[in-house]
Amino acid sequence: MTSPTPDLNMTRYLLLIPILLLLGLAQAGEALAQSTCTDYHKFNCQRAGDKRWSQNGQSKSASIQVGRETELNIIIYSGQDYRISVCHDTKVLGEDLAIRLVEKVRVPREQTDGAPDPIIDEDGNRTGTTRTVEDPERMFVEVEKVLWDNTEHDMAMEVEFSCASTKRIAVQIMAAGSTGKPRRDKQFDIGCVGILIEHMVTPDLGF
Amino acid sequence: MQPSHLFPIGVVVLLAACGGGDQAEDNAPALVIGEGEAVSATVLHQMPTPNELFVQVKTLSGQGDRSYLNPASQADRYATLRSRAIAFGVYSTDLVYASTFQLNVEVARYYLATKKLAESLGLTTVFTDAEFIRLESNLTRGDSLEIISNEVYMNAYEKLEEADMGPVLTLVLIGGWVESMHLMMVHGAELDEVVTRQRVAEQRSTLEHLIALSESESSDPDVAELRYRLSGILDLYDSMNTQRMPHKGRAASGRMVLGDDILTEVTAERYQAIHAAISTLRAELILTDDQPNA
Repeated sequence: MTSPTPDLNMTRYLLLIPILLLLGLAQAGEALAQSTCTDYHKFNCQRAGDKRWSQNGQSKSASIQVGRETELNIIIYSGQDYRISVCHDTKVLGEDLAIRLVEKVRVPREQTDGAPDPIIDEDGNRTGTTRTVEDPERMFVEVEKVLWDNTEHDMAMEVEFSCASTKRIAVQIMAAGSTGKPRRDKQFDIGCVGILIEHMVTPDLGF
Repeated sequence: MQPSHLFPIGVVVLLAACGGGDQAEDNAPALVIGEGEAVSATVLHQMPTPNELFVQVKTLSGQGDRSYLNPASQADRYATLRSRAIAFGVYSTDLVYASTFQLNVEVARYYLATKKLAESLGLTTVFTDAEFIRLESNLTRGDSLEIISNEVYMNAYEKLEEADMGPVLTLVLIGGWVESMHLMMVHGAELDEVVTRQRVAEQRSTLEHLIALSESESSDPDVAELRYRLSGILDLYDSMNTQRMPHKGRAASGRMVLGDDILTEVTAERYQAIHAAISTLRAELILTDDQPNA
């Protein structure tokens, strides 16, 4: 085998430059996509046609990772109607997203130790007898109640509802990623998601 | 080594970088939330802007009252980072209140007070001269005013988030929440007693939300102290009886109603206890740094 001539070497290096540039641009694009997630919902989510809807300040965009749940906790007020729409980078995250609306509820839990306490003498030694302390501490635990799940609604990417009582809810989202393509490293499985929330005072319909 | 031999090596390295390494053949995860592989969720919180609450108060009471607000003249008397952050939350809320109730003179006054505090927190790009001119030219247009002040509030919130000013943002939100509660409760005397109590009861959700949101900053001593105070108010809410019942039918708008109806029994004693706790906390928060006991 003969070595390539110096001219041929030079040509190869010249060919390498655009490849490197393209790869650099691709990396920069990836980084830019992350940094621009902040306003993703403002430019990519479709606003409602009805002008009575106002954009809600709790709308938010974030970068999410394929296979990892992300939730946005918000407050919805009684007497208001809401429209929540989700938009996302389909090239990275796939066509469909699983979306749930869950209510966060603090519920009381009567907590008692259960086990009796040993009675200790003056020297700190166990006497061999026990007693049950009747001092249940009222504690609260947070539970989630699923209120809406898009897997039961044809993977809908938006939902409209009315709120009769003020609630804490979380918009939970998970992406499966693009199908039919092999997964790349996890660092490349991150794409933008926008959650656009709109609201209006619940209108009365009819006469 | 000859340069010509470097070329194929470089291409191999580049191709390896393009590939997926040892995870290239992974299957996509199931599209089910709450099941499957145990990957911890990323949790984000957003606090509602005060205008949503004030619109409800306005619907019920109609009139705003500037005497309910923290005097704008005090804005430059907050010296520490803690007091400036809290005062920024208080004044931003007052600005939104003034806009909602179309207290036009107060809108300009509170805009300038908020601007002063924002600059002291490093938020110079939110309160621009152009924004003030836009605000001034809309002083007679209530709806526009409300939108502009709300935008300013949201922009400030976003800037604090972007600048990763976690404890400051939390103090701002706490100041804003306490001021919102104060403004809603001082309107209580003008409103239907049952409605007022129910509105106050509903704020349990926002308080729980605020406490959850501030958890990530609880290592900050100022945040920790205020979370403790807020937990005391939450204890008052916890002592109330709450009933949940499925909502019957659709809403007046024809849309589905999300979740249960919630009815909280707020006795006069509990209402007064919450009012007193909010008033005490607010009085402490708006105390300027040159006042005694500050």
